[in-house]
Amino acid sequence: MSVLSPHLVDEIKALPARYPQPRSAVMPALDLAQEELGYLTPEAMSEVAVALQLDPGYVEGVATFYTLFHLQPIGKHRFYVCTNLSCSLRGSGEIVDHVKGAIGVKDAGEVSSDGLFSYEEVECLGACEFAPMMRLDHQYHYDLTVEKIDQLVAERKSPSAAAPASAPLPNPLPEGERGQPAPKRVRKKKGG
Amino acid sequence: MAELRGSFGDAPNHVLTRWFGTPDLHRLAVYESRAGGYVALRKVLLEMAPADIVGEVKKSGLRGRGGAGFATGTKWSFINRDAPGPKYVVVNADESEPGTSKDRYILENSPHMFLEGAMIAAYTIGANQVWIYIRGEYDAPYRMLVEAIAEAREKGYLGSKPMGKDYPLDVQLYRGHGAYICGEETALLESLEGKRAQPRSRPPFPAVKGAWGRPTLLNNVETLATVPWIVNNGGAAYAKFGTEKSPGTRLMSVSGNVRKPGVYEVELGQTFTHVIMELAGGPPDGRKVKVFWPGGSSAPVLPESMLDTHTDMEALAAARSMGGSGGVIVMDDTHCVVRAAYRLLRFYAHESCGKCTPCRVGGDWAVRTYERILANEGSEVELGILERVADGLQNGRCLCGLGDSAGWVIDSTFRHFREEYEDHALRHTCNVGGAPPALRATSPQVERIANA
Repeated sequence: MSVLSPHLVDEIKALPARYPQPRSAVMPALDLAQEELGYLTPEAMSEVAVALQLDPGYVEGVATFYTLFHLQPIGKHRFYVCTNLSCSLRGSGEIVDHVKGAIGVKDAGEVSSDGLFSYEEVECLGACEFAPMMRLDHQYHYDLTVEKIDQLVAERKSPSAAAPASAPLPNPLPEGERGQPAPKRVRKKKGG
Repeated sequence: MAELRGSFGDAPNHVLTRWFGTPDLHRLAVYESRAGGYVALRKVLLEMAPADIVGEVKKSGLRGRGGAGFATGTKWSFINRDAPGPKYVVVNADESEPGTSKDRYILENSPHMFLEGAMIAAYTIGANQVWIYIRGEYDAPYRMLVEAIAEAREKGYLGSKPMGKDYPLDVQLYRGHGAYICGEETALLESLEGKRAQPRSRPPFPAVKGAWGRPTLLNNVETLATVPWIVNNGGAAYAKFGTEKSPGTRLMSVSGNVRKPGVYEVELGQTFTHVIMELAGGPPDGRKVKVFWPGGSSAPVLPESMLDTHTDMEALAAARSMGGSGGVIVMDDTHCVVRAAYRLLRFYAHESCGKCTPCRVGGDWAVRTYERILANEGSEVELGILERVADGLQNGRCLCGLGDSAGWVIDSTFRHFREEYEDHALRHTCNVGGAPPALRATSPQVERIANA
C-alpha cells in the first residue's frame, strides 16, 4: 500500500533530471513527500528512495540530518520561534512561554489537542533587526508581542477568519518554474 | 515587503544600498530604469575580456563578505576558464550566522543586483550555470528570487544569448533545510549534492573539484551584489572606500540591545562606536554596552572598553577578533555574559555535524559544564574544564571552523569577563539582574545529557 499519491511519485521520478547528478533530487523529493503528508514516515522515506533508486537508509540519513524535515507528526500550523542571542536579548523567552500557553502545549514538538498547532524553538532565522521574531508556517513575523501571538492563534482557530497570508511555499519550485527546461545534465563516465 | 530597518537612499558611502527604498526595485524594469541595472552585465558580455573583469575585481580589493574575508578577485582567478567541461558558480545564500541578516536584506530589496553580480561571475570564470543555495527558512527571498529569475529569462538576460552574446547563462535555486553547517562551503557542496552536510577535507579545493566534482566558484550574496558597482565604476573607485587592506563598504546587521537595530552600510575602518552608538542608537536609556560580537556569534567578543575598535579586518584581528559575517550583536549591562555564552554553546553543540570528534564531543562537554556552573554547582574544576574544552575545539583540530567558533566564544568571554565566570562558579552569584537569555534544554545533545 503506497503512502504517496501516484502523481507525486511521478513528480519525484522526474526530479533527478533537473540536476547535474541525480542524487541532488533527494531533498526536493523529501520536500514533496513532507508537503503531502505533513511529516516523513519511514514508509514515505522508503517510497522516496525507491522512486529515486537510492537506498532507504541513505534517504533516512539525509532526512534526519536537517531540522526542516519532520520525522514526527506536527501541528497544521507551526511556530518556529527564534531563541538565539539577538532574539533572547529582546524577550523571546517570554514569547515562547506565551506561545505554549496560547496553543495549549507543554513542550516543543508537542501537537495541540485540536491538531492545529505545534511549536519549535529554533536558531537564528536571519531577521535580527526585527527581534524578537519567528516563522509561522511559511511567513516571518516581526517585533513579536504577546498580543500579536494571541491574534495569530485566534485567526487560525476561527474557521471563518480570512485565510492567513502564509500559503504553503511551492516545493521544490513554484508552478511557473515547473516544466521549464531542465538544466543540461552532465554525467561523468566514471565515478561521481 | 517589510519595513526597511537600516541603510537606504543616497549617501556618500552607499554602494550597495543606494537604491534601496525605491518602490518596486525588485522588479527588473525598475532596477534597470532607476538603478542603472544590468548595464554592468551588458558591459562585461559585450566589451570586456574575462581577464579584465578579474583585474577590476582584484583592483577593487573586494574581500568575501561571508565570513572568511578571502580576496574575491584572487578566488575568481583560481578557476581555469579554459578547462574543458562544465564549471559552476555556487552562491552561498544560506545565511545563518547568529546575528546576521544582511543577505536577506539584499535579496528582499534588490534581488536583481545580486543576480547581475552572479551572472557576471559566471561569465568571468567560464560557467554557464549558477546554483543559488538559499536557506530553507527564507521564504520571502526565495519567492523574490524565483520572480526575478523568471523576469531575467523573459527579458533574455538568462538564456542562450544574453545581451546578444553567444554565451548561455542560467540560474537555478536549491533550498537548504535548516543546517548551520551549510554555511561552510564544502558542507554546502555536499548538501547540494544531496548528502548529509559534512565538510570535506581539502585539498582538493572547490576551484578544482567542487559541485558535482567540477571546478566551482563559491561566493556569498553580498560579495556578488557588490560586483555590478565595481564593473560600472571601476575597481579603483571602490578601493577609495575603506582602508588599504579592507577596502570598500559592508553591510553590518546590528541587533540586540540597541535602540535602532538595522542593517547598516558601513565604510570599513569606521569604529564600532559609530556603528553601535551612532547608527544603531546605542542601548536603551540608562543602560551601557557591556559586550558586543563584532562579526556574528563566531567572532570573539569585545568589551565596552573596545568600542573604538575599527571595523576593518586588520584592526579586528589586532583586537583578537574578526569581521566575520558583519553581524554585530550588542548586549547591555543588564545581561549576564556567562548565560549568553551558554546559549551560544548550545547553538554550536546543536549544529555540530558530528564528523570531527573534538567538535562533536567538545560542544557537549561545554554545554554540560555551563549547566553545572549556572545551576550553582560550579567550582575551579568547571572553569578548568571550560578552558581545556575551548582549547580542544580550536587550532585546526577540526575540518572546518565550527569548532573554532565554539571555542572562541568560551575563550573570548573568559579573556574579558573572567570575573563573571568566577562569580558564578566560585561564589555562586550573578552580578546582573534582568531577564537572562532562555535557559532551556532543547538541543538533542542537551536532552540526551539531561536524560542520561
